[in-house]
Amino acid sequence: MPQLHDVDYTLEYPYTRTTGPVIGPFLTGLRDGRILGQRCGDRVLCPPMEFDPDTFATLEPDLVEVGPGGVVENWTWVAEPSAKHPFDRPFGFAFIKLDGADTALVHAVDTGGDPEAISTGMRVQAQFREERHGSVADVYFVPEADAADQVIEPGDEPVTITEHLISLRINEPLYPHRARFAQGLLDGKIIGQRSPVTGKVYVPGRGYDNMSRVLMSESDEVEVSDVGTVVAFTELNPVQYYGQTETEPYVRCSILFDGTDQPVIGIDIRDMTVDEMRVGMRMRCIWRDPEDRSVEDIDNRFGNVPESVYVRFEPTGEPDVPADELKEHSW
Amino acid sequence: MAPRPCAVLGIGQTKYKRRRDDVTLDGLVREAALRALEDAGATFDDIDAIVIGKAPDALEGVMMPLLSLCDALGAIGKPIHRVHTAGSVGASTAISAVNLVESGMYDTVLTVAYEKQSEGNATWALSGGKSGGQGAGGTFAPWIRNYIARSKAPEHIGWMVAVKDRLNALKNEYAHLHLPDISVEKVRESPMLWDPLHFLESCPSSDGAAAMVLGNDDIAKKSGRPPAWVISHAKRTEFGQFPGRDTVRPQAGVECSEALYRKAGITNPREQIDCAELYVPFSWYEPMWLEGHLIAEEGEGWKMTDAGDTELGGSFPVNMSGGVLSSNPIGASGMIRCLEAANQVRGTAGEYQVPGAKISIGHAYGGAAQYYAMWMVSSELNPEL
Repeated sequence: MPQLHDVDYTLEYPYTRTTGPVIGPFLTGLRDGRILGQRCGDRVLCPPMEFDPDTFATLEPDLVEVGPGGVVENWTWVAEPSAKHPFDRPFGFAFIKLDGADTALVHAVDTGGDPEAISTGMRVQAQFREERHGSVADVYFVPEADAADQVIEPGDEPVTITEHLISLRINEPLYPHRARFAQGLLDGKIIGQRSPVTGKVYVPGRGYDNMSRVLMSESDEVEVSDVGTVVAFTELNPVQYYGQTETEPYVRCSILFDGTDQPVIGIDIRDMTVDEMRVGMRMRCIWRDPEDRSVEDIDNRFGNVPESVYVRFEPTGEPDVPADELKEHSW
Repeated sequence: MAPRPCAVLGIGQTKYKRRRDDVTLDGLVREAALRALEDAGATFDDIDAIVIGKAPDALEGVMMPLLSLCDALGAIGKPIHRVHTAGSVGASTAISAVNLVESGMYDTVLTVAYEKQSEGNATWALSGGKSGGQGAGGTFAPWIRNYIARSKAPEHIGWMVAVKDRLNALKNEYAHLHLPDISVEKVRESPMLWDPLHFLESCPSSDGAAAMVLGNDDIAKKSGRPPAWVISHAKRTEFGQFPGRDTVRPQAGVECSEALYRKAGITNPREQIDCAELYVPFSWYEPMWLEGHLIAEEGEGWKMTDAGDTELGGSFPVNMSGGVLSSNPIGASGMIRCLEAANQVRGTAGEYQVPGAKISIGHAYGGAAQYYAMWMVSSELNPEL
């Protein structure tokens, strides 16, 4: 059996954050080259907070400039920065109590990569980046002696909403039963798993029978028919979200393949309209030529019988199965 | 040992909106909490424990939100719990809070649920971040088609529900959608999203939070606020997919309502319950849940809708507040159902009050219609049925 691909994709979304009455001015300040703290009784909190951390009272916005100098209260060293860290060379993360503030800000200290150049009690100073967006990453800190004088041009509008591309890379091998199912599709076969307890056939198999709570393995696998019955369908008008590539309406249906007890869901039909579909309709899979089949979209959670293995599903012309007989397969 | 009686003593909601661009997520959640405290005549000092709920973290991309919400909810030095059961989470959260009071562990509990949908995209999140996602509407539409085929319901039923809930919402200042010109024609002519569901038969995407203060019988007596006694509650779960699953009338939903009614001694829900807030994110789920939760016989739910029984002023009003069809901060939507049920039996529902409502239910479902959470509240601890 050829080696199947690993699951490898990046889940990412450009989330937004509403900054509100206290954090908004703080981020606006950073963009404009100033660090602001929030008054809370006789203390100044930096980073600012919306609520008094001791009494939980709402803090009315009352911001005051702090820094740009401050003292390292404690620190840790990042010897191997990742792509999302603020520097591409080793640096320190430190608790920095800025001049005029009563609480410490956690931030990055750049010593040119030298771990010997950071210490508790040392003085540091804020440096602002050339490109600023109203983000906590607009600023960083250096040892006071290394600080350069900066002239910062303030921006126009206050920062009220920020955008953050948050991503997570998923890289894992296909589970063995998923890999055998995917290989079956490449071979033009639909592989299911027959429960050793109930005899029910699941397709695709999950590697276990969730009703009887027993494992199912390769020895429980059976090839099932590629002819089946439509048990449910709708027409999707694709919602246009980040990463969506579908633009036109299409039919999505569930098909109960002959000899199975659970429908395969999410089968897409491009050449029939919703009015031409019926619950109970008999359909057969018209496979792509073997060299045109792909199972790239199959991962450990999604991907049942993807379009990348079939040309279309076509009606067999057999009489419909009465809908009443499909009541317990209505997904 | 019998459970301690538990009552809703304060409720609080934010205005539901497409985007609340004036507050942070923390500020939004806190707004509802402060209103619930005010309504209960309480402060954070009176709270013994906090239970929060929201839908999947992927909706806003904030992992473990309870970390930052500790400050906003005055939870420092107190226990905070987070509940998660997909779309039903708001009701599951409320019930989890009730459990803490009934157990005798805590006297007064604050429970809050929320979503700030504008910070992410629900369909993206429910699609695992991949193209070709069908979202909730695309998942439920085939089951709705099967319900229609099975029950022989006429197609206007869905349109009627869409109009009824939006007209109710006009009486609720907190509702997201205020559509005074809504009509069956407008619903029918609105774009088809997931056949047979039109745009106006679908819930909006909202920012918002809802909160309640719950207390035991001693606290209820001291508070002097009108109590909504939680006289019964139930949760049930089933697999999303298994051989023999009936997605139109899920077994877990039937069993959840059976358990709810049994505990309260309800033998005829249609007659003994005055009104209900059911989780109806897509119009057709009103008749589907009337049947699936045993308020109507199988195949008869749509006839209640058709006859106007579920209207405000009908014999069994449903979603007096405007329902999920009018406001949908997903994680909060189930809690809003529970909160609005309490609002009715406390007699505080204002323009959408059902006169004399004594017993009401709040309901939510989640996932692939596989998680159920329901509660029953009454103006009396031991109501005569």
